[in-house]
Amino acid sequence: MRFRLAMTDTTRAALPYGLIVLLWVVAGAVLPGFAKPGHIRYMIELAAVIGLVGIGQTLVVIGGGIDLSVAATITVAAIVMPLVSFAPDTTGIGAIVLTLAVAGGIGAINGIGIGYLGLPPLIMTLATATTLQGLLVIIAGGSAVTVNNPLLVWLGSARIIGIPVDILVWAAIAALCLAWLHGTRTGATVFALGTNPLASRLSGVAERRVTLMLYAVSGLTAGCAGLLLLAMNGQGYVGIGDPYLLSSIAAVVLGGTSILGGRGTYAGTIAGAILLVTMTALITVVNASAGWRSIILGCLILGMLPLSGRDQNR
Amino acid sequence: MSLYWAIQWRRNEGLGALFLVLAGFLILYAILFPGILSIGGAGRFVQNWFPMALVAVAQAVIMLTGGIDLSIGAMVGLGSVVAATSMGGAFGIAGGTAATLGMGAAVGAAVGVIVSIGRYPAIIVTLATSFIIGGAALLILPRPGGAIPPELSEFLAGDHPTAVLMLILLILGWKLYQATPLGMGLVAGGDNPIGAYRSGVATRTARIFAYALSGLLTACAGLYVAAQTGSGDPVIGQPFTLAAIAAAVLGGVSFLGGQGTLRGALAGSLLMSVLINVMFFMNLPPVAQYVVQGLIIVITVALPQLKRMLRRIA
Repeated sequence: MRFRLAMTDTTRAALPYGLIVLLWVVAGAVLPGFAKPGHIRYMIELAAVIGLVGIGQTLVVIGGGIDLSVAATITVAAIVMPLVSFAPDTTGIGAIVLTLAVAGGIGAINGIGIGYLGLPPLIMTLATATTLQGLLVIIAGGSAVTVNNPLLVWLGSARIIGIPVDILVWAAIAALCLAWLHGTRTGATVFALGTNPLASRLSGVAERRVTLMLYAVSGLTAGCAGLLLLAMNGQGYVGIGDPYLLSSIAAVVLGGTSILGGRGTYAGTIAGAILLVTMTALITVVNASAGWRSIILGCLILGMLPLSGRDQNR
Repeated sequence: MSLYWAIQWRRNEGLGALFLVLAGFLILYAILFPGILSIGGAGRFVQNWFPMALVAVAQAVIMLTGGIDLSIGAMVGLGSVVAATSMGGAFGIAGGTAATLGMGAAVGAAVGVIVSIGRYPAIIVTLATSFIIGGAALLILPRPGGAIPPELSEFLAGDHPTAVLMLILLILGWKLYQATPLGMGLVAGGDNPIGAYRSGVATRTARIFAYALSGLLTACAGLYVAAQTGSGDPVIGQPFTLAAIAAAVLGGVSFLGGQGTLRGALAGSLLMSVLINVMFFMNLPPVAQYVVQGLIIVITVALPQLKRMLRRIA
């Protein structure tokens, strides 16, 4: 039984990989240049941002919650970075660490509200997102900020043996996340928490602490994604993170993680992120209208729901 | 009959604090702006409140079934866009109104079918449909435009107490709906799905009707907003998603389903509306209302838990 369960989870996660290969082969045959290494590298670079937000979103969803504040946190990271830069910090590391601390702090606030005050995740993260949205406009106004952080500029442009550094950063953090989720005790408690919070609390899982940690990690990875986005874009502005709320949830659902919690893997989300970028690229080739893009993304999530689990008690 | 009033009275329990706070704010408002005490002033005040009241009731209906609707803002936008583009057709105002309300009910029913027959979580379904609905609004009107006939704007949002009348109709309609098997099934199915099903309540049908009703009310709010501004705007609804949740939560409607009242949701939305008006007259930036909304939701939902923690310490 346990073997079969593991098999189905692996199959769910493997499905999007198969879809990606299929799409690349078909699109490469029909559209010249689509499957060229340069274009694929570009798509994976774009997927890195979704993939990084997807880390926190996957962990939170497996733990039985949802994080609707990731888009706002990405924007905060992109807007706050230039504000916390200081002169003696010539490499730019200091500003990056401070920005990530702010992002992680936002996640921790979510975690306190959900874990310790018992707020439903949906409400807490939605409220955080709205509050941040208001604060951002008050702090930053409507103006865009430009990057001059040396480390970020390097991150956005450098390559090591032909592979862009941002992809390498994603790969490193992803490996860390996978090892933690599937290889450690705390990782296992995340699954327990998502399957049955009451049972896991009774069997000694530090429910509140794990919840706090999950949302803090989600804030942190959203902060990473915001910095990466800033590095790739060269500019930060209010609203830069907005598309990534639905993308991150879509990547999680496409990757076969159950939206009801307790089942899934980040390996699927990686494929989900790449699949999402590939689909968006294809939609853009066919029709660039923002309305259609939004409709197709929404339909995609609806279409993937059968893979992602049903409400059992209704 | 005496039993009816006894039950009605008991349902006011827990709303006492809200009614007191609301009365306090209304008195403060009347002292600050005595204009509200005239018939014209009160009429305009109700007009400002009316769309908020509609979306709060729409959200409360979904929350009573045990779900949540994240597509309210998108639906207000689509309603305003459909209204502003269909009034000029061959069937004029009546045709345009029928098209807007029919669209709302049909889309709501479709979402209800996915949630109820498909047994998928409402949060993820409505998140996906919010993007489909928002995309459709952008396709119909990529930028604000269209037109509402001036006579309709004058009738709905001019110097007539139309909004007050519609509000009374809404309350009467809800009372009648609650007396039908479908209306009772809505609340019963949200309170205890399995128990209601075993007692012969058509829980699925009741839930689909609830979503259709909610879509209808939300599209109605879109039509009203369009009548106020004189044109359609695909993204005008965005703030309504959270405002509707905030109003319903303030009004004591529970996330778990089956618990809550229409009078609570209306009082909650009235309080939100008064707060926004007061902030507007205090010359706070419009985005400050986001911050306040976020804080209100968190505090209201966390209050019971905070009380419990305080009691444990004392």
